Amino acid sequence: MGDVLVTQILIPQWQLIATTSWPVLITLAGFVIGLWVYRRSGNASPFHPLMIATPLIYLFLQWIELDFERYYAGSGLVNWLLGPATVALAVPLSQQLRQLPALFRPLSIALLAGGLFATLSALLMVKLFGLDDRILLSLAAKSVTSPIAIGLVQQIGGITSLLAVATMVTGLAGIIMAQTIFRITEVEDERWQGLILGVTAHAIGTAKAFETSPRCGAFATLGMGLNGIWTSLFLPAAVVYFIN
Amino acid sequence: MKKLLVGVLILVIFQWLGEFAAALLGINLPGQLLGMIFLLLVLSFNTSLLPWLESASSQLIRYIALLFVPVTTGAFFLAPAITGQFPKIVIILVVSTMLAQWFMGLIIKRVSNHSG
Repeated sequence: MGDVLVTQILIPQWQLIATTSWPVLITLAGFVIGLWVYRRSGNASPFHPLMIATPLIYLFLQWIELDFERYYAGSGLVNWLLGPATVALAVPLSQQLRQLPALFRPLSIALLAGGLFATLSALLMVKLFGLDDRILLSLAAKSVTSPIAIGLVQQIGGITSLLAVATMVTGLAGIIMAQTIFRITEVEDERWQGLILGVTAHAIGTAKAFETSPRCGAFATLGMGLNGIWTSLFLPAAVVYFIN
Repeated sequence: MKKLLVGVLILVIFQWLGEFAAALLGINLPGQLLGMIFLLLVLSFNTSLLPWLESASSQLIRYIALLFVPVTTGAFFLAPAITGQFPKIVIILVVSTMLAQWFMGLIIKRVSNHSG
């Protein structure tokens, strides 16, 4: 048991942290610029910090002729922090779960069905469009919040960079379409609007929900966190089914 | 500052617990996700850890987009075989997200009538 702890957990984590070197500064600088532009734009979603930071960093890497693998390894500390950040999601989730009891039944039904539908509809369309299995494995977790999704996709063998973009596109599409869908389906209660945003558009949807009201945001937090757990449970089986 | 550091330490310990359990029991889930579930269970029975975790977790979640910068930058370096599929991929993502929102809207209309 002690062996497992050292060889499978402590050493790999230390190696991830220990590769950190100066390229981590590129990551930090790119993000700070992205954040600045986003704030200046009045938090407009097309100016999301990631939409600004990543093309800038790409251009910079081309200019200084640094290859992606060295840049990525150099940002080891940032990548390592995804682990603790995933665990940190338990804190807002537990705070929201405490205020829930009355809505437990409708909320679980909507969450379980919605989470399943969001993933299976995408996998089905990947098959219909005849895309290959690597793309299927990478898109599988697109409705799940990125820290959980990245872990999941690593686990099932997809391409994490493709997943990261897919998650961003999903979140942005989700907040752009949500108001129209709420009108069509006549969902006026902001608690349910929040849940839909959290389940289908994860963190980007949750941030949008907080703009409506703290209550809407709380339900989005719940939808995002619980859908992350729920999707991780059915995804490995769903993926095997679609690949065969 | 002390609370922040203790908070991060608690998070890391739960991550290790999750990875340890996943490795030991051969569970097919990311270790950090199991760690999150463990922490959620602990917090739902006992809130004494909560004051120590609030600072670390809110800071990490607030700047979480920073942690996706390296991996998202990787999208610019994907093979042409994959970037060539981008238009189809975007259609899939948009349509499936729209359908899922619509489907959830319908379900909520059905199940929420009696419970307000």
